[in-house]
Amino acid sequence: MTTRDDNVVMRSLAQIGACGLFLLTILAAIPRSLKHGRETIRQIWFVGAMSLTIVMTCGLFVGMVLGLQLYDVLSIFGGTSATGTVVAIAIYRELGPVVTALLFAGRAGTSVTAEIGLMRATDQLDAMEMMAVDPIAYVVAPRFLAGVVALPLLGIVFCAMGVFGGHLVGVTWLGIDNGTFWSNMTAAVDVHKDIIDGVLLKSIAFGIVVSLIAVFQGYTTPPTSEGVAYATTRTVVASSIAILALDFVLTSFLI
Amino acid sequence: MTQRRSYAVGTGLFIVLGFAALAYLATQTTSVANQGGGDTYKVETRFANVGQLKVRAPVKVAGVRVGSVQAIELVPGKEEAKVTLAIDDARKDIPSDSVATIYTSGLLGDQYVGIQFGQSKTPVKEGGEIGLTRPAQQLEEMLGKFFGGGSAPDRLGGTFHVTGDFTNIGGLQPGAAVKMAGVPIGSVESVVVKPGAVEATVTLAIDKRYSQIPDDSAAAVFTSGLIGSQYVAIQPGGSPSFLADGDQLVLTQSALQLEDLIGKFLVNGSPSDNKSGGAQGGTQPDTSGKK
Repeated sequence: MTTRDDNVVMRSLAQIGACGLFLLTILAAIPRSLKHGRETIRQIWFVGAMSLTIVMTCGLFVGMVLGLQLYDVLSIFGGTSATGTVVAIAIYRELGPVVTALLFAGRAGTSVTAEIGLMRATDQLDAMEMMAVDPIAYVVAPRFLAGVVALPLLGIVFCAMGVFGGHLVGVTWLGIDNGTFWSNMTAAVDVHKDIIDGVLLKSIAFGIVVSLIAVFQGYTTPPTSEGVAYATTRTVVASSIAILALDFVLTSFLI
Repeated sequence: MTQRRSYAVGTGLFIVLGFAALAYLATQTTSVANQGGGDTYKVETRFANVGQLKVRAPVKVAGVRVGSVQAIELVPGKEEAKVTLAIDDARKDIPSDSVATIYTSGLLGDQYVGIQFGQSKTPVKEGGEIGLTRPAQQLEEMLGKFFGGGSAPDRLGGTFHVTGDFTNIGGLQPGAAVKMAGVPIGSVESVVVKPGAVEATVTLAIDKRYSQIPDDSAAAVFTSGLIGSQYVAIQPGGSPSFLADGDQLVLTQSALQLEDLIGKFLVNGSPSDNKSGGAQGGTQPDTSGKK
């Protein structure tokens, strides 16, 4: 039993180490991959633009439900005019980057893992190497870069939709004064602390982590259909844990 | 090729949408929106206490924002804060004898500097100073004024001591205020149990400035507010002679026990139910301390 536990621990450590080395490999390959710039743009389309629907819908509903809950709680203290402020700050600092990253891991990370994993399983990656095409530069790096670029943009769109959703519920439905809603929000939200540190910095960090996990799991998958399935699952599990843990660490530094 | 171009266009649209959303968040939902970009001029003020005033807090005239607090620093060697205000150039007409006050918006809101115009014809200049200021009201002091804790009076004139016997002093502590007509005139110096009697002897140190207290005055233990601290109230009598050092207040009224009062309301509770031993809360002045 202990040997098996040891194995699990050792395996996890080996995975983390291999993942870090893989990141260095990707970073080294980025200059070469820029020759295939069009591939990167195509990947931004696939992982970014194609995720817009789910991110915008979820952002809208998260904003709406926050507006509803906060209105209900704040009305106890007669402070419903603070609804907009709290919706904006909660979304900018936490929900926006975190939920977007979780959605991104589920929507785009899995497809990247499955795609690269199938390339591995069907020996396409080996074929590329045979043809002297570096699969890291041509397949992995563009997908990694696309994720790092796309996630912050998605996070910002999520935040904008969230604020819009909060406004929809708070002002249009529950009747908070429109001017109060916006003026309280603008008085309390800070560009540096909330938008740059909150949304952008966290999203970029999550983008790096999620993309790295997705391409790593795909690239190192066992070349079987079962292996691809496990790799896809591991992408979601590892990404979710990494996002939430990293969020805590980042927040404790930023706050 | 056309397919590739459509990816490029779509990706470009996606990136533009992302940046448009960023611009929207940064300009419409943050404080950038209400930071007037115009030129400002600096005016100095000095406050005895800035409370929770923060840099970038608004400066308002008649409730309208005219600038912001640029810097708050301690004046070296003095217990005084220098607050530099950056006021919009459009408001060049603030009289030099205006009064700057630190207000709180709402009960729990942030603090801001309010300027009330004076009568002077000369406006305050760049780098000038608004000399008249009112410091921030500390909530604790205001509550203290309401709830009677107040600050103990200074004892520059010395004190004289009088004693009073109470059957129950409730939660009265040494150091509690002694008040007449609501004004603190001294403090409780000691509370001791009188040997051989279920009574407490309370020694009051009263400021010598208040020496003209009739010697038939009554002392009562009151509570300031519902949850405030307890204090001794002196209710002046009509005697022509005054209290002197070492005298005893004969008429005393013990502390009201909230439990007793509630008991009376609820069950017409009799004091005999009371197990606290001699703690008879009563509203009648008891004369047990008569010499």
